[in-house]
Amino acid sequence: MSKKKKDQAPEAGGTAVSTQPKAMNVSSLDSKYITRLTVTLLAICAVTALLLGVVNQITAPIITQMQEEKTRAAMAQVLAADSYEPLSTEAPGVTALYRAVSGGKDAGYVAEVATNGFGGEIDLVVGIDASGAVTGVAVTKQSETQNIGSKVVSDQAVLDRFIGMGSGDGPITVNSGSNRFDGVSGATVSSKGVTAGVNAALDAVKSYQ
Amino acid sequence: MNFGKQLKEGLLTQNPVLVQLLGMCSTLAITTTISNGIGMGVSVTIILTLSNIFISLLRKVIPEQVRIAAYIVVIAGFVTMVDLLLQAFFPEIAESLGVFIPLIVVNCIILARAESFASKNKPLAAAVDGICQGIGYTLILLVMSAIRELLGAGTLGGTRVFPEEFSATLIAMPVGGFLTLGLLIALMQWAQSKGGK
Repeated sequence: MSKKKKDQAPEAGGTAVSTQPKAMNVSSLDSKYITRLTVTLLAICAVTALLLGVVNQITAPIITQMQEEKTRAAMAQVLAADSYEPLSTEAPGVTALYRAVSGGKDAGYVAEVATNGFGGEIDLVVGIDASGAVTGVAVTKQSETQNIGSKVVSDQAVLDRFIGMGSGDGPITVNSGSNRFDGVSGATVSSKGVTAGVNAALDAVKSYQ
Repeated sequence: MNFGKQLKEGLLTQNPVLVQLLGMCSTLAITTTISNGIGMGVSVTIILTLSNIFISLLRKVIPEQVRIAAYIVVIAGFVTMVDLLLQAFFPEIAESLGVFIPLIVVNCIILARAESFASKNKPLAAAVDGICQGIGYTLILLVMSAIRELLGAGTLGGTRVFPEEFSATLIAMPVGGFLTLGLLIALMQWAQSKGGK
């Protein structure tokens, strides 16, 4: 690299108030200069990491609390009960399973499920009563396409179509079979994803019935 | 430093999206609703301004050979902070912008302004540049998201303008983003060539 670089071309939008000469002699890559490179970059990284740590300290409890509240609200929505006792489960796709207790009696089960939609993971909360029928489905996290997949996951009326369905006739299938869920046209992947999540919840509950 | 000139450049003559053709990915992806457009525009403006200020402050400290790495660390740091703060205090915006907030790190507008402006100018000028370029970016997002939300979903800012049955879902999909952006760039070129004569 020659020391006399061409003058910087007028760069986009740069009003070039004080164009510093940037030409730096590359042959001066001696150990001292290399140390300077390393130390400067290390210092910038260290300061950034420190600041991020501080921000995380402040925001982490708020974010966790908000997510818990959201899940709790969803649980109350799909199956209202006095308390929810955690159960252990190893069913695939099910992240948490609870026994809903109301007035000292079993009211059914609530499962937190992670399933796959078109735009990534969909987190569902599924309520199932003691007889194995769905009492409600709520979406807690999704990134489906606006106006397409969102017609499934953001429309409670569509999610409510699962109410009353069970796994007595085998798994729920989309737009076919005897245990049929009417999906949303154009949003087949999202419809199937949600259905798979509900099926996973039904399977997890089956072992406790 | 000339605030009016920089604002004019950011909005029109050197508009980051329509003239410099930077940050297209986020522009195409998030302009499906007006609230998304505003959320993304404001987030980018804040990060762009902050990173411009800090890169300008550090411009004499950062050695040339590692400057890109240093810029990326500074930008990524601010993006992560904004992401966490949005999640904690504006969960609705954080949810609808989803994956695009972390992707601001690689939004080339920010790196381009760091390289071509902030690393050569004083902090105050760099801050003004960040704000002006950010406003230019936000304005285009706003125009695009208004067009796409109106035609694609039949709503404007969430209020229904005409029944959903008449909306062209195509416009809300990626292809509609390319069409809208292409037409806006053509319009900008036309206006500039006309103004130049």
